Amino acid sequence: MASTTKKSGRGRSILGGLAFFFILMGLYFALIQAPPDAYQGEVQRIMYLHIPSILTAYLSFFIVFIGSALFLWKRERRDDILAYAAAEIGVLFTGLTIVEGSIWGKPAWGVWWTWDARLTLTAILLLIFVGYLMLRSLIEDEDQSAVCGAVLGIIGFLDIPLIHMSVYWWRTLHQPPSILRPDKLPWENVHPAMLIALSINFIAFLLVYFYLLSSRIRLGELQEEVKKTRLYGAA
Amino acid sequence: MKAWDFVFLAYGIVWSALVFYLTVLRRRCRKIEAELVRLQSPGDKKKNEQK
Repeated sequence: MASTTKKSGRGRSILGGLAFFFILMGLYFALIQAPPDAYQGEVQRIMYLHIPSILTAYLSFFIVFIGSALFLWKRERRDDILAYAAAEIGVLFTGLTIVEGSIWGKPAWGVWWTWDARLTLTAILLLIFVGYLMLRSLIEDEDQSAVCGAVLGIIGFLDIPLIHMSVYWWRTLHQPPSILRPDKLPWENVHPAMLIALSINFIAFLLVYFYLLSSRIRLGELQEEVKKTRLYGAA
Repeated sequence: MKAWDFVFLAYGIVWSALVFYLTVLRRRCRKIEAELVRLQSPGDKKKNEQK
């Protein structure tokens, strides 16, 4: 047990170091190396935060979906710990995406916020998972809290395809996707220098995400251990 | 506000929020680790057994 903890701690340190290196690289490429956009100018550099953070949020809620489905199927605590940890970090990244989008929206559209289909659906996603976190902390019975959370986690994830397709289904102010397009490959649609900056920032966000997730899972495991120790006493 | 002000505002908020969350997460971990050590200490072990 002690050696596993030591190994996972070392793995987390390596992940943290790598994340820090990629953050610095990402900042250099996003703020210095990448050219300004032909139409939007310098403000388009917010894209190097905005796209990686929403993709990271999508990934996080996909992990919630998988963890929740596995928990409902096998009833193993580790799946619930994974889903709960991913939901908390997913809320953080979704909140940041909305804030970045708002800061980008002001110079690009002239407003901080508009009731556009994509923006509204993203706000709904945030509210669903804030509700998930509230539900988890309000229900005292642990099993009931885990089951209700798992059901809400699965339902909440279903909002993501709606968010992605909203720019095709409704007439929106938000531009269509630049990267995940069904008709074009990313390098056919985005300047190579911008694509490199975006890729490096996406890697940085992924590394930060997995670093945070592993730390949050560790917290969940410790909380579980404390509960067990309180119930059955120290081994 | 000029274009760069919006860019720096966005980058400042995002990286500050992530550092803040990480700091809070580490503090929560340290607190729960201390709690676990306290529960596993011989004095508390006895108390738990009595319960």
